[in-house]
Amino acid sequence: MSAVQRTLAILRKELLDTFRDRRTGTVTLLSSILAGPIFLMLIFNLMASQAERARELTLPVQGGEYAPAVVAFLERQQVKVTKAPDDYDAQIRRGDLDVVLIIDDAFANDVAQGKPATVRLVFDRSRDRARAAIDQADALLRSYNRLWGEERLMLRGVTSSVANPLRIESDDVATPQQSGALVLFLVAYYGLFASVMGGMAVALDTTAGERERQSLEPLLMTPARPAEIVVGKWLAVCLFDALVVALTLTGFYLTLAFAPLPPVGVPFLFGVREFGRFLLVLVPMILMLPAILLYVGSRARAYKEAQANVSVLLFVVSLIPLVQLFMQRKEPSWIMLVPVSAQYSLLNTSLRGEAPALAQLALSWIAPLALVVIALVAVARRLSREAILSGK
Amino acid sequence: MIAVRDIAKAFGKRRDVRAVRDVSFDAPDGAITGLLGPNGAGKTTLLRMIATLVLPDEGHAKVDGLDVVTDRYAVRERIGVLSDARGLYPRLTARENVRYFGALHGLSGAGLDARIDTLFATLGLGAIAERRTAGFSQGEKMKVAIARALVHDPHTILLDEPTNGLDIMSVRTLRDELRTLRAAGKCLLFSSHVMQEVAALCDRIVVLSHGRVVAAGTADELIARAGTAGLEDAFVALLGSDEGLAA
Repeated sequence: MSAVQRTLAILRKELLDTFRDRRTGTVTLLSSILAGPIFLMLIFNLMASQAERARELTLPVQGGEYAPAVVAFLERQQVKVTKAPDDYDAQIRRGDLDVVLIIDDAFANDVAQGKPATVRLVFDRSRDRARAAIDQADALLRSYNRLWGEERLMLRGVTSSVANPLRIESDDVATPQQSGALVLFLVAYYGLFASVMGGMAVALDTTAGERERQSLEPLLMTPARPAEIVVGKWLAVCLFDALVVALTLTGFYLTLAFAPLPPVGVPFLFGVREFGRFLLVLVPMILMLPAILLYVGSRARAYKEAQANVSVLLFVVSLIPLVQLFMQRKEPSWIMLVPVSAQYSLLNTSLRGEAPALAQLALSWIAPLALVVIALVAVARRLSREAILSGK
Repeated sequence: MIAVRDIAKAFGKRRDVRAVRDVSFDAPDGAITGLLGPNGAGKTTLLRMIATLVLPDEGHAKVDGLDVVTDRYAVRERIGVLSDARGLYPRLTARENVRYFGALHGLSGAGLDARIDTLFATLGLGAIAERRTAGFSQGEKMKVAIARALVHDPHTILLDEPTNGLDIMSVRTLRDELRTLRAAGKCLLFSSHVMQEVAALCDRIVVLSHGRVVAAGTADELIARAGTAGLEDAFVALLGSDEGLAA
């Protein structure tokens, strides 16, 4: 009887046990395949409704009678001008209105005296979906301001370039795929998250659960070495984790390829090529997270205790990409040595339609593989200690 | 054949909980040897040392001449243990539970299944062999655990309080099975705090108290030594009290 045969016997049993656990299995597998579709539908609809609001701007105006020229300009720009309700302030706070234009009753007077006349935009910038409308109203007013100023200069015989020493040109080098930054973030984030969640229940059940059910001691009395037990269990968790990640990505792929998503001007690519790159980037996570989860599970006497401990791990893994998102600088090169960070960065590269560099991929494997070895050795050592038998 | 010599084990940070002290005894083949002692006498620790799970601080134990520390994996192949912890995998069927342990002992295929069929038939598990063990009664779980311990046909069999929580019928089945194994020449070591159990079944009895061997021998030898009329009185006399024992 070789070590390999015993390891395979353990692997086979753990897989059988996992797939017998219908409730956990169904919930995990269903939620992973459905995550992509539900997620993308929500995001795309949000983006579509934003685009809609920007295209067909409705601008409630108060005091339009004091500045008919402004209203006429806005209407020429296809803006639907309405009369603002009296309680516009409260309506904006509630989110019923995106933005309201207030024209000062002294507008005409100020203009006549050559003073700057006041127009005021009222909005709540903390509302994401109002942002497009706010920006458009703001841009329209600024362009009216500039046009009017240029006309005045021309009347005085001055060319408009005197007042506009800078000519600002924008040249966005983003490829079409790069524009859906939020979607990019979420897809990468979810891919990473799947690799943690996928193995969690199985890893804790096979360690803390085994101890709690009192089946660990009989297992330790068989000729199976601790190392064989650990590797067998680890392989089982990895396989299940890989299945969950693959299903999650399949969900994303199918949705983006076939679902009738609203057109949002983001030719977002997640094809077979991106699918493959994602899996390639996530392999170190699929190997590392099960090993760490097994270690956390082996330290606990019961499943519940292990669940509490694992929330720390979840917190760290979910926080790292957020830190990266808000860290607006270019990533330092050593980031490839940081597990999770490296993968998040490489997932983003893949989503931007680029192939991750082989050197970077290789670097991103180092730390996870080292952690796999450390965690598995630690679990095997725990299993050889007498203390594992106590604390029923 | 089990030979234990001057074995000792202490627990705790300062090693001040002396669970087993200088225990020596033999358990021959073709006989049932009983370890009798009140709760906390060191029976489970002693069995775990012989089962290679706990390392002795002093002394040594040999199973068929193999040392439980240096040859631990060879010992594990030769012993079948029904330990204090006898949890099953609730999502697996009775057969799958036993098959898993058979596979870890190097058995496979039709030979393994035939062996399981025989065991299940003897233990009366045939009707529930393909059912998941989640809903099993205490007695049914116990029988599956016994089948699991015996699947590789071990020569030496260790049983830690095997009758705990069993009904009368299950106890009878177990006794019959142990007698069959004895007749087959196996070496059986059986721990219990139930005097009746030990008296009814064991050829040789080792009486343990506070981690030490108080007396050892056949039932007649123990009665003669204690100078009492029956075996149960002899136990009480040898231990000094009947605290922690059950009739």
